[in-house]
Amino acid sequence: MALSKPMGKFLTETGELSRFAGRFFAQWYKPRYELGEFLRQCFIIGYRSLPLVGLTAFIMGLVLTMQLRPSMVEYGVESQLPAIVGIAIVREIGPVITALIFAGKIGSSIGAELGSMKVTEQIDAMEVSGTNPFKYLVVSRVLASVFMLPVLIMLSDAISLYGAWIGVNIHSTTSFALFWTQVFNILSFSDVLPAFVKSFFFGFAVGIIGCFKGYNSSKGTEGVGQSANSAVVVSSIMIFVIDLLAVQVTELLGLN
Amino acid sequence: MNNIKLGVFVLGGLLFLVVLLYMIGINKSMFGGSYILKARFDNVQGLIKGNNVRFAGIQCGTVKNIKIISDTVIEVTMSLDKKMASIIRKNALASIGTEGLVGNKVVNIIPVQGDSEPAAGRDIIASKKMLSTDDLMQTLSRTNDDLAVVVSNLKTTVLRINNSNALWSLLNDNGIPMEVKNTLINFRKATGNAVQITNEVDQLMMDVRNGKGSLGVLLTDTSFATHLDAAVLKIKTVGERADSLALTIHSMASAVQKDMDSGNGAVHALLKDSSIVIKLNKSLENIEKGTQSFSEDMEALKHNFLLRGYFKKQEKKKQAENKKL
Repeated sequence: MALSKPMGKFLTETGELSRFAGRFFAQWYKPRYELGEFLRQCFIIGYRSLPLVGLTAFIMGLVLTMQLRPSMVEYGVESQLPAIVGIAIVREIGPVITALIFAGKIGSSIGAELGSMKVTEQIDAMEVSGTNPFKYLVVSRVLASVFMLPVLIMLSDAISLYGAWIGVNIHSTTSFALFWTQVFNILSFSDVLPAFVKSFFFGFAVGIIGCFKGYNSSKGTEGVGQSANSAVVVSSIMIFVIDLLAVQVTELLGLN
Repeated sequence: MNNIKLGVFVLGGLLFLVVLLYMIGINKSMFGGSYILKARFDNVQGLIKGNNVRFAGIQCGTVKNIKIISDTVIEVTMSLDKKMASIIRKNALASIGTEGLVGNKVVNIIPVQGDSEPAAGRDIIASKKMLSTDDLMQTLSRTNDDLAVVVSNLKTTVLRINNSNALWSLLNDNGIPMEVKNTLINFRKATGNAVQITNEVDQLMMDVRNGKGSLGVLLTDTSFATHLDAAVLKIKTVGERADSLALTIHSMASAVQKDMDSGNGAVHALLKDSSIVIKLNKSLENIEKGTQSFSEDMEALKHNFLLRGYFKKQEKKKQAENKKL
């Protein structure tokens, strides 16, 4: 096999990541369940991310509305501003922006945490003490990010829409009831459900890549930084790839 | 404590998801029963599944299906809110319209005056062909063509006006406005007079109608008319009598004339006989003499003793009256 070195490295990593993900699927449903650790991780991953996600979501809603307004006014459909902002937030902006912020915060923290545990040989020590480190460290974190990201995305949608309402009210007066009605009149299940389903995949990608990078870090302290960094980069790219796949699948299913 | 916070966080997210799905479900009339109505059109103008259905402008359902029955008949199946089942009648009309000028298509169900049973599920209600944007554009294009002709005609007219010397000299003459002004002033005066005349005529007519003035009486008093009738009758009889009188006078006059001519009768004697005059003079003289002697007799009587007392009494009475005055 005469592959170039970077290509070979990329394929090796992809294979290792797939194997890692397979190990996760083989183990996550089996006892013993680390419920306490799962809830602790949920708290850290989900609840602690809310302020950051909420702030970005609010600003995104506000800015998106203000940026769209001039074009809408130009076409004479200023009254449709809530509708178009609602569609944009629920379908795309909410899930993707939230997942990217989530990848930046959680991907790096998981990568760094597991990486430092790996290089200080705590993981090996766990194995020796009879605890399954994969279950305790990886499964709990991945499951927590799978279940917390959709919740975060829902909350960020709500906050974004609130920001959008304020954005609409900067130049004109629209009651919250009218804004609400206009947004929900335009939305349909085909807008909400694909976005909701893909957010689980986003969460899984961020969790599994962060854990993989951390779990396989080497070369001491330098390696910790590298795994944290590459966890963020790879999971961000994965989010866009999954987004692309999701839109293709929804198109194929005729939900668009 | 951390778990409580986590619980609140998760519940918040799920609550928003549920609200989102529920609101969408309400808009798609998924909750609360729905029933089916159908309408047939020859052209649905781009209506698609999921478009809104409105009854009298109120959102009440969505288009569930569009089926081609034949090349000129398209059946639109509408899923409507169950609450509308008792409201939409069988004679309602369905038409396809647009939200705004270029928005989504909607089916409008319009209530029609008159009694009819409420439409049951799966009934087909009548449809009404509405003006589509294409038709509108076609009409507009025809209007544009007409307008082009009108504008070109207008252009030649304006050119002619521009080239007309008479009109421009008329417009350039500064005296004309003054004359027009004077004319208008005169006209105003004339109008004022006309108004006054009209008022007077009006007043006159009013008087006549109310029976004032001779004309009024003449026109309104019915008894006057009968009087007039009687008077005319009398005048007629008088006239007749006058006729006979004139005849009599005439015959008399002719008789007198005859007497005069022939010298017979009193008239002849008075007018023509001179001896009569002499006799008459003599008679008058005699009468004068007789009166004189009677006067003397009367004076003698006053002084008679038998009558003197009476005359004295008369004299005293007269003097008393004079004193009083």
